[in-house]
Amino acid sequence: MFENIPILSLLILFPLLGAIAAFMLGRSPKAAKYVALVFSAIPLALVTLMLTEFSLSGGFQFVENYEWISFLGINFHLGIDGVSVTMVFLSTLLVFLAILFSWDVEERLNQYMGLMLLLEVGILGVFTALDYFVFYIFWEVVLIPMYFLIAIWGGMNRAYASIKFFIYTHVASLAMLLGIFALYFTTAPLLKADGLIPVDAIGTFDMQLIARVAGDGLGHMLQIAIFGALFFGFIVKMPVVPFHTWLPDAHVQAPTAGSVLLAGLLLKMGSYGIIRICLPTLPDAAVDFQLIMAVIGVVSIIYGAFACLAQSDLKKMVAYSSISHMGIVMLGIATLSQLGIAAAVFQMFAHGLITAVLFMVCGMFQHKAGTREIPLLGGLAPKVPILATVMMMGFMASLGLPGMVGFLAEFMVFTSTFDTWGVWVLVPIATVALTAAYYLWAMQRSIFGELTTKIDTKHMHDAYWFEILPLAVLLGFIVLFGVWPAFALDLITPSIPSVWPLNGVI
Amino acid sequence: MFDYGAIYPEIILILFAVAIPALHLLLKSSRALAGISLVGVAASAGMVVYYLLNGYPGMIGSENSPLIVFDALAAVFSLVFLSVAFVAILASARYVENDRHLAEYFTLILMATAGMMLVASAQDLLTIYIGIEIASMATYALVAFRKRDKRGSEAAVKYVIIGGLSSALSLYGISLLFGVTGTTSLVGINEALAAQGIDLATILSVGLLIAGFGFKIAIAPFHMWAPDVYEGAPTPVSAFLAAASKKMGLVVMFKVFIVGLIAIKADWDIVVGVVAILTMTIGNVIALSQTNIKRMLAYSSIAQAGYMLMALPLATVVGDFAITAGIFHIITHAFMKSGAFIVVAALAYVAIGESVADYKGLAKRAPFMAFSMAIFMFALAGIPPLSGFMSKVVLLSASVQAAEITQWMLWLGVALVLNSALSLYYYVRVIKYMYVEKGESTAKIKVPVSLTVAIAVCMVATIVLGLFFDPVLDLCSEAARTLFPAMA
Repeated sequence: MFENIPILSLLILFPLLGAIAAFMLGRSPKAAKYVALVFSAIPLALVTLMLTEFSLSGGFQFVENYEWISFLGINFHLGIDGVSVTMVFLSTLLVFLAILFSWDVEERLNQYMGLMLLLEVGILGVFTALDYFVFYIFWEVVLIPMYFLIAIWGGMNRAYASIKFFIYTHVASLAMLLGIFALYFTTAPLLKADGLIPVDAIGTFDMQLIARVAGDGLGHMLQIAIFGALFFGFIVKMPVVPFHTWLPDAHVQAPTAGSVLLAGLLLKMGSYGIIRICLPTLPDAAVDFQLIMAVIGVVSIIYGAFACLAQSDLKKMVAYSSISHMGIVMLGIATLSQLGIAAAVFQMFAHGLITAVLFMVCGMFQHKAGTREIPLLGGLAPKVPILATVMMMGFMASLGLPGMVGFLAEFMVFTSTFDTWGVWVLVPIATVALTAAYYLWAMQRSIFGELTTKIDTKHMHDAYWFEILPLAVLLGFIVLFGVWPAFALDLITPSIPSVWPLNGVI
Repeated sequence: MFDYGAIYPEIILILFAVAIPALHLLLKSSRALAGISLVGVAASAGMVVYYLLNGYPGMIGSENSPLIVFDALAAVFSLVFLSVAFVAILASARYVENDRHLAEYFTLILMATAGMMLVASAQDLLTIYIGIEIASMATYALVAFRKRDKRGSEAAVKYVIIGGLSSALSLYGISLLFGVTGTTSLVGINEALAAQGIDLATILSVGLLIAGFGFKIAIAPFHMWAPDVYEGAPTPVSAFLAAASKKMGLVVMFKVFIVGLIAIKADWDIVVGVVAILTMTIGNVIALSQTNIKRMLAYSSIAQAGYMLMALPLATVVGDFAITAGIFHIITHAFMKSGAFIVVAALAYVAIGESVADYKGLAKRAPFMAFSMAIFMFALAGIPPLSGFMSKVVLLSASVQAAEITQWMLWLGVALVLNSALSLYYYVRVIKYMYVEKGESTAKIKVPVSLTVAIAVCMVATIVLGLFFDPVLDLCSEAARTLFPAMA
């Protein structure tokens, strides 16, 4: 059905066209809203169609490869496997729902919608690129719309938060760029020796070609150095302790839809990079980094959870919980096993769905109650029953209630952690209790108990249709994948080889 | 051999430069004169393109001591100078509208451009010096053009004094080199130095040359004049200085050090490397605290010159690839920097101040100006997929490649990376003021068409060079190879 259609390029092209259209609709911002909705629905539909055609064999599919800058060996090379298709689906879904959720934005509406779509362009590019250069460009393209989303539609302290976000992640990307160049030049002679690129070429940025020779051909110390540079770029984006400080600021200041995409998708770019690039390309160095990754993961899990306990701002609490949950992803990756990495990808997917619900809930509190400060809220459940129900379901999903998607993902990560490190798994598992504590406590104080008198609750309006709809869809998926994880795991697992090392996967 | 073809492009410019004051007697309108100057620039560019397509003309001078050779390098740099002159003239048409001396203004720009082009094709230290002086004299007068303006006059005086010092230093260096080697031809100097090695006089002359040309390019520690001059000069002239005059200094550095002094590269590569790192760091750090946009752009130009200078030490290891990178960055920078200056000029024309705070809420008042300025700022900061990113990437890749052989060169790449990150702050701050902050006034701003066109040209170039630069890179590579005759 898609034999001769450059479907992945189209996937990226439609949001781009939508973005341009939205920017041009300055005179009728209302129309921009519908344009954005349609142009974000098209990629979602395309991905759904692709999923029906997707083969569960594990390799790259829908591959496109065009020469772009031959002088430097850069190709516009796209392709997806089970890992990326999961992320691509999540991206198109979340962007569509986030646009719907922003239905009542009024300020500079058309620019807002345009930036959302531009963000989708960058994110989809990152998840489909198979060329380092293309990957890097899309990676950086993501920064610009996010910067503006925070800087223009953000909270009180938005100027500080947006520029901190921009510079923090930009510095990390530059380290990554150095690593990419090191790969580019050090693999060039190897590739020439194997006849994979012409002798007179400078090198190639093709991920698959580089992965084929880098693992065996590069010296150990060199592998470690390159791994370090790339790894640094990725973990700042994830983020994990100690490079997480930009995240709470950015989240607290970002508009709701911005937070949804930031936590739901941008953070995944970091862990996706480790899985797509670091592990298969530099397997020896990955083994050296295994313990570091595990420690970083566990520290993030614990630190994030403790930080959550201390927050009085609902949104800041959810932001810190993201750090904790991305720590679980890191731990899964650190096992370097098929189960662990598949679990990490599944956790990325799960966290994307769940955190979107949580941030939407926070946004609704801000909207309806005028504050997100937990001590000011209280007893709101009877006033806003739908919001309270959704909040409860979201929190339960996030703390890992069985039957919902978060439980399975965490369970799988902990299983493979046990496989690798034995009873050490008790350390991160103990944190689950903390997670339960902060969520239950926050819930108790904000929606149960006596009705608060600190804020005006007389005119509180429950959720609107454009808020209920995305939340319902997300919660539907959370339960669906919680009950039937095979939907996702059958896609993900074949793309990760069952035996370490992973080289040659990409 | 004496083929006038080698200087046809310059001759065309000079003819127009001479004709314009005469025509001023007949035509009073600044638009007409600007139009004629543009025709001159276009004709000269046409000549260059003709050479590019149909082969280069013969040289002036002899095989052993060539004076002027119009080769790929000269062609590429001529096109850079001509493009900058083109947008500067476009941007100036309204600026000098009511000035009695508007004809001289265009004459000076054309003369300066001709001088710079002569430098790009010169092969002998004396021809280079003459070219520099032609360009310098014209730019001194351009800076002083608003002679009743105090800031402008102060800037001009500084510029003349510093320029004189710079000329003196480089001339002294040239004479010392002549004393040591017995020739002023770059090729001859290199052969002589390869044979006789290095002595104190050579070291002194290299130091004097770095200082002399360093003043022209405004590299640290010879950069102090640049912000004052750029701030005081008429803004289109600032654009011309930052985007063209500075590049002339760089092409001289490339020629003198790669063609003339490559035999003693071990004695200068680390010095130039340190100077490059110092320049980019000082430029960026000081730019952080600037509130006047023209001063900020001036410091940003200093930093960018540091990036371009990186190519020189890298070239001692990876050869023409590094120079290719340097030239490519020179090209992209010419457009993004002149674009940025012209936005400032356009806004100044409609009485918007030069302080960053004056740009508050600009996105609402002048959407195109704000958008193009944002593009230039992002490109200067090196955000993909814009041209500034691509050229920095090629530079960075040259440094990583060089580091495989000479390890310390990786520090050049690391410095580039860290400086890019640092510079992001002040570039994005401009965008923040334009898009995020709310201004006091919301009245729409109307900018003259000629300025809008000039900005649009720069913006299109900045975007296109970021996406489709394969042919440009090939051309840069061809130009770079002319400096390495052994490889050609």
